Amino acid sequence: MKTILKYIGKEIWSPYVAGILLGLVGIVAVWVSNSLLGASGAFENLAGLIGKAVAPAAFDNMYFNFIMPPGITWGVILLVGVFFGGLIGAATSKTLKWGKKDSANSDAQWKRIFGPQTWKRWVLGFFGAILLEYAAGIAGGCTSGLAISGGMLLVPAAFLFIAGMFGSGILTALIIYRKQY
Amino acid sequence: MNYVIALILGSFFGFALNKAGLTKYNKIVNQFRFTDMAVLKFMMTALVVAMIGLYGMRGLGLVTFPTVPATYIVGNLAGGLIFGVGMALTGY
Repeated sequence: MKTILKYIGKEIWSPYVAGILLGLVGIVAVWVSNSLLGASGAFENLAGLIGKAVAPAAFDNMYFNFIMPPGITWGVILLVGVFFGGLIGAATSKTLKWGKKDSANSDAQWKRIFGPQTWKRWVLGFFGAILLEYAAGIAGGCTSGLAISGGMLLVPAAFLFIAGMFGSGILTALIIYRKQY
Repeated sequence: MNYVIALILGSFFGFALNKAGLTKYNKIVNQFRFTDMAVLKFMMTALVVAMIGLYGMRGLGLVTFPTVPATYIVGNLAGGLIFGVGMALTGY
């Protein structure tokens, strides 16, 4: 029991152990709720909800009416859970920093490549996230919703998506890191 | 009730991601540099466990699969290509 508790307190688990945990969560999600784990769809549901309230005309289209209907869906609640799960994870490994200076930009490798300024990280995060969400909208899911959830049901789309993701990811990393690759 | 399950499953999901270190920028980008294979190990382990579990359970008639994500080759591939750029930039 003590070894288990000690293992939970470790900051980085073996990826195999964490992977087994995620696999089990995926099974339970299909078994109990008949749903797939996904993150990007929930943001679109929320965006649709806000959009319909603020600018109903602009959001009255095929996408937000039929493909991604707005509302508090199962996925939105799941995302709330993800937030708290991550919080618990950080708390157990004692890396949780409330409002400390630099806690928003504490990654040494990031600082080495892009510079120490925190605002740079916010800007890059913002525009990178737009790319991510837009791409997830085109592909029909993100890493969790399409690559992992689709992959475990052996959907071809998932493997096409993983191939594309790694192809351009490697290329982008090559461009950013150049000689240090 | 379904929402309670979603909340519990979500927290385990977030917990697993956090413990695998996937909430860190360097883990994600180092996967693309092939200096740290944690992302691939994590994803593939989850895939294998869930594949065996789900297909086994379907064989026993315990589960019916939900609507699967649609396959449209150009869209999936183009989405993946854009997604990779964002992933390497932000470390999502």
